[in-house]
Amino acid sequence: MTDDREATSDETLCRRIAARDDAAFDLLVARYQARAYRLAWSLLRNAEDARDVSQDAFIRVWEAAERFRGDARFSTWFYRILVNTCLDHKRRGRWWTLRVARDTDRESDESLVERQPAPGPDPGDQASEAQTMTRLWNAVHRLSAQQRAAVILYAQEHLSTAEIADVLKVAEPTVRVHLHRAVAALRKELAP
Amino acid sequence: MTVERPDDLTAAERELLERAVGASPPPPEPRWGEYRAQLRSRLEARGSMGTRLRRWWARPAPIALSLGLATALLLFTLHPVERRPDFASLDEAMLGARLDLLENYHVVERLDLLENFEVIRRLDDVASREG
Repeated sequence: MTDDREATSDETLCRRIAARDDAAFDLLVARYQARAYRLAWSLLRNAEDARDVSQDAFIRVWEAAERFRGDARFSTWFYRILVNTCLDHKRRGRWWTLRVARDTDRESDESLVERQPAPGPDPGDQASEAQTMTRLWNAVHRLSAQQRAAVILYAQEHLSTAEIADVLKVAEPTVRVHLHRAVAALRKELAP
Repeated sequence: MTVERPDDLTAAERELLERAVGASPPPPEPRWGEYRAQLRSRLEARGSMGTRLRRWWARPAPIALSLGLATALLLFTLHPVERRPDFASLDEAMLGARLDLLENYHVVERLDLLENFEVIRRLDDVASREG
């Protein structure tokens, strides 16, 4: 049982990928595809970009598997590749993304509220909750790219601050500062 | 169950972050079969491009071309091409070197004269040709 688990652990699969094992690559992709796509989508806020960038990250894993030393968990190494690919993508198309994001923000302000289920007994409360959620979501997206990555890795992927520091290649106190600033921004957003 | 996380955040702050991240609308779910097929084809395209590039570089012509370019670059770095001469200053320098000819200007004038004589001498030939 333990041997089976060991044989299909992420780290073992990565070593097999380094030896150009297609089956190991397919298994690892199937294991991480949803997480990779969701994380990329949270950072890029665009389904097509999230699909392309998460695939780019898997391609990088295939190409760089032999450089995985195994001194960190595979997931941390993979998240680092993925987040860097997302940040590179954002940097490359910054002005264009900013322009589109402004339009998307305007759309999402409406669409999030519109996407809520049909009003139940207290429509006022539900609309207000939906608006709060929209404000929170937009507040997350007004954070700097690195702060947002820290918040998403922390609250969505449940990584520790040490792991986030490893992914973002920054000091752990920097991650804590990112999280505290994010909390402050969200509180400000929620303040009446 | 609350997992202890050494990050200086209070439970309320953690909850706020989770709520904010959870506030995102769910991303449109891709068809995973298509996703993997597309990934596989991108990987194969990349692999074949890499192989093609490696093959191209393995041919003698590209190697010779690269060596030639590298040599040219090296030569250019070691012996940069001299600046094109300034033609005005070159002309002045040449005139300056020939100032002594002005002392013999009268000879030049006579050369012209002699040339005229030559023409005059050949006038008969020209007339005879015209008949």
